[in-house]
Amino acid sequence: MTSESGSSLFERRLVIVSGKGGTGKTSVAAALALGAARAGRRVLVAEVGPDEHLPGLLEPGAAPVGYAGRELLPGLTSMRVDPYDALGEYLALQLGAGPLIRMVLRNRGFRQLMDASPGWRELITLGKVWHLGEQRDASGQPLYDLIVVDAPATGHGITLLDVPRVVVSAVRAGPLRRHTSRVEAMLRDPDHTLLLPVALAEELPARETAEFVARVRQEIGIPVDRVVVNAVMPAPYPPGLENLEAKLARLPDTCLEGVLPRPSVLAASVAHLRARHELNRRYVEEIGASTELPVIELPYLMTGTQGREPLQQLGEALVAPPRVVAA
Amino acid sequence: MSASDLDALIASRRIVVVVGCGGVGKTTLSAALALHAARSGRRALVLTIDPARRLADALGIGAIGNQPVSLPRDGLRALGVPDAGSLDALMLDMKRTFDDLVERFADSDEARDRILSNAIYQHVSDALAGSAEYAAMEKVYELSERSEYQLIVLDTPPSQHAVDFLEAPTRLLEFLDSRLVQILLHPAFAAGRLGFRVFHRGAHRVLQVLERVSGLAFLEDVSDFLLAFEGMSHGFRERARRVRSFLSGPEAAFLIAAGPARDAAELAMRFFDRLAQSRVPVAGVIANRVRVWPSGGAPPDPIEDAAQRERAESTLARALADAEGSEFPALEAARAAIAASDQYALLVREDARATQRLFDRARDAGGFGRTVPELPLDVHDLEGLARVADALFGESTGETPLVAD
Repeated sequence: MTSESGSSLFERRLVIVSGKGGTGKTSVAAALALGAARAGRRVLVAEVGPDEHLPGLLEPGAAPVGYAGRELLPGLTSMRVDPYDALGEYLALQLGAGPLIRMVLRNRGFRQLMDASPGWRELITLGKVWHLGEQRDASGQPLYDLIVVDAPATGHGITLLDVPRVVVSAVRAGPLRRHTSRVEAMLRDPDHTLLLPVALAEELPARETAEFVARVRQEIGIPVDRVVVNAVMPAPYPPGLENLEAKLARLPDTCLEGVLPRPSVLAASVAHLRARHELNRRYVEEIGASTELPVIELPYLMTGTQGREPLQQLGEALVAPPRVVAA
Repeated sequence: MSASDLDALIASRRIVVVVGCGGVGKTTLSAALALHAARSGRRALVLTIDPARRLADALGIGAIGNQPVSLPRDGLRALGVPDAGSLDALMLDMKRTFDDLVERFADSDEARDRILSNAIYQHVSDALAGSAEYAAMEKVYELSERSEYQLIVLDTPPSQHAVDFLEAPTRLLEFLDSRLVQILLHPAFAAGRLGFRVFHRGAHRVLQVLERVSGLAFLEDVSDFLLAFEGMSHGFRERARRVRSFLSGPEAAFLIAAGPARDAAELAMRFFDRLAQSRVPVAGVIANRVRVWPSGGAPPDPIEDAAQRERAESTLARALADAEGSEFPALEAARAAIAASDQYALLVREDARATQRLFDRARDAGGFGRTVPELPLDVHDLEGLARVADALFGESTGETPLVAD
């Protein structure tokens, strides 16, 4: 991999960031959007799911941006895709805005039907993303150079990504099939779309990521060319100080009295961070090997990821050339 | 709050449902709870969805699931399980459980085959929010009807929908009852002869819109699926009612498993909200893998004063140089050690704060809070599981506030 593959994160039109809850997926989406906006791209970041987290990360205390969205920083717009809003917009586009659409959306039976129906939320969400990508400004240029989707945490977002394929296979004909085919083609276009899986370097997340990438390759066919491993604990001491914890543990118990915690406590702290570091290292390698993808490592940030400064730091690490772990 | 809350729970309930997001060690905690019950002489089963492989190996449950596997008596005896107690494990196959449900309630073989082969059904059982989790509750209920287990611990799937199972059957039934579905259920519809005229105007319009967007063929498939499904709705309805009242009854208890760090605790908070929405009382919260300060109590603050810090560094460097010789880069080592200690102290304080918030929330909800400190090793065998159980029920892990507010 060359450094070009790093910057190519910004060259796609659509990057779908996916990962289980707790992997820091939203922070990665925010860092990516921030980095792209700073590089002069017009970025839209779309959060999928019932809650808004992203605006608060970029701007602590930010008011919700909702379906209409809001430009949070120059060149960076954030929105939340609500499926019912998107459905209303879609129906209006298809059938013309008017009392009929409003009546349908308010109809209790319709709500019940939709509440119980699987899949349409995902489909309409992707439809909205497709539609956003088609938006043009006054000069005919795309309104957004890059759309970043913060995919829902459930099942690694697999339902979201799989739904167009399912619909195309289950619906025999009609506008629904036609529109869904368009969305599916967009998702599978390697020049347009990139799926960016976010993992943690621990046993369960590593395994889930491997399974997720395998399914994406075998069944879903969305381009994926790297995997982000988040919150990797750095080594607690530089090379050349191997087994510092053992050396600390051997010191006389009282030699630091009044100045520092006991040597055994320092030793335990170092040992903890080292164990964490080594565990993370092991699973970074394993994720690289099992997914056969280059890895982008993001450091564990002690201060958390809220605010622009840590997100910029993550954004810089994010566009670094991915590292090929396995042959 | 003491261990006895959790002890009493494990001794008296028939079902303990453990909810929480992925990666917090939910499966391990569930298995440890079941092991504790077995050690107290109960016949326990842990029902899990997606365990880490090595834990699955330790429990003796592989990829082939849906039937309980008994853990070997010798291994259990070594962990202090008396002969009266036993521990079984079952890895749930969601899809199969859902198919079983169809099999049980379909009113004919023909209806069953039509459902199982319907293109829409094949995706419904995967995608209908909470339906897979509902299938898990179904399995629990089925097992609880038999008498071989005194306690079943259910490790729920690590998804946002994990508590939707309580609402899933209601939603499904409301859906089947809705006027729209009643129209779609009309045999004339499935046969492709739309008889819209005779129905309610509002529903008629909705269907027109749906048809224009989705195409008639799709609606016909939906209709065909619903028609086949309707035959099972009576049995399903009755069953769903019983499962629901069993789960909200005195024999069941819900526990929230949480990770230690800020983000994980934040995610756990949402489970309180979701369970409250479903009117399910939370018995308690378990904060897993909480980092604790090696000498106990609250960690010291980092040394802010530059002169003091320099003095601390040189004191440690001198001690290291005395021990390791003059070749050793003692000052560099001292700085690394102090930085590591500060960093670890920060993690400990952060965990303590996050845990405290969870416990406050649990207490407000009338529940208890328990801490399991981070253990030095991964849990991948029965001994490891026993260590978690010891930490969960032991005296040493009582709720000690690590930071003074």
